[in-house]
Amino acid sequence: MVQTEAAMEAYNAYWLNSPLPAADVLWMVVILVIAIVALWQARTFVSQF
Amino acid sequence: MDLQLLKKQEHQRRVRKGFMWALFCAILWGLWYIPGTVVWVLNPFDEMYAEIAATNGDGMSLIITAVLITAFNALTVILALMVWNGVLGKFGEMKRTLKEFNPCSKWFFLASIFGGPMAILGSFIAMGFVGGAFAAVAALMYPVVGSILASKWYGEKISKRAFAGIVFIIFGGITIFGGGLLTEIGAGNVVWIGYIGGLMAAVGWGIEGAIAGKGLDIAEPDVGLTLRFLGENIIWWVIAVPILAILGFPMFKYALMVFEPLTMLVLVFAGITFGFCYVTWYKSFPLIGVGRGQGIGNLYGLFAVVFIALFFGDIPDWTILVGGALCLIGSSIMFSEDTSQLESLRGE
Repeated sequence: MVQTEAAMEAYNAYWLNSPLPAADVLWMVVILVIAIVALWQARTFVSQF
Repeated sequence: MDLQLLKKQEHQRRVRKGFMWALFCAILWGLWYIPGTVVWVLNPFDEMYAEIAATNGDGMSLIITAVLITAFNALTVILALMVWNGVLGKFGEMKRTLKEFNPCSKWFFLASIFGGPMAILGSFIAMGFVGGAFAAVAALMYPVVGSILASKWYGEKISKRAFAGIVFIIFGGITIFGGGLLTEIGAGNVVWIGYIGGLMAAVGWGIEGAIAGKGLDIAEPDVGLTLRFLGENIIWWVIAVPILAILGFPMFKYALMVFEPLTMLVLVFAGITFGFCYVTWYKSFPLIGVGRGQGIGNLYGLFAVVFIALFFGDIPDWTILVGGALCLIGSSIMFSEDTSQLESLRGE
């Protein structure tokens, strides 16, 4: 199924008041960056302990 | 070099890492509220909510929809944890731990009952009935439950400083619950089930932490946590979802409609944040103890409010801000504790 117009409207409304640019994409970028840093730290941790 | 000095340095390094993992947990947990909130308005969940609400009312509809969202959240968490364990080369260890049910895996399956049906579902209920910021901070009381249980059950040491931190968190929690409740009573709109959801989250995660602390005495956190989510997936997909379908709710109809790119994308990001936050939470327990790990992990409330303000532009109510600040002070008191106090996490 595809998203209905009402669902997309509700989804897009979340980012309208954000003070950040392109907040609808930026939140995913922030998650990916932090997740990669955590994974890298976990690799380092495995080799140290 | 002096052996005692080396031992002290190694101990300090372990404590620093423990606090680092707890902080990662807090950041990722706070971020989870972004996909955890927006997923509700996407198909098929919005249509599922509308269909059930038309026949069973809004309250029931919210809980049933939350079950399906939580089940999918558990599924994407397992995918994220497979990546995590794959990168760390832990699949062999996973097989070994799974085989040892009685000494190891049983604790993680037990943890999944309190963390899944109780805490995560409760958090979704709080989010749906009251709001994302409320749900994020309502569960802040969970370290109180976790540290008391860990202390009574297997003698984890709770210092005066850690106790002071807990007291601040209790007052923070009271401010959050009481303030929000007073505001809603004034408006004549008390959504009790939202507050019950918040309570379920606090008690559920506290009990889960204490149980996990016991299991982590003999098992690895990365693997233990994956088994805990394996247990949660079984609870949702083998027990809860089929039972609700038998009771006449359209669970499988909407479960099969979830394969839509945007919905899947949001669920995958919910899985990454939740899976990674949980695994870092578990990693902190053997290094700094359940009470402190949960105390620092508690900063998720603050991060959630910050991320919600940044990405949604929502300005939180003053009671949530005051309560969140008190909880933050409590967590900071634990964080700044002298590390020599942590040399042995258990009582003699």
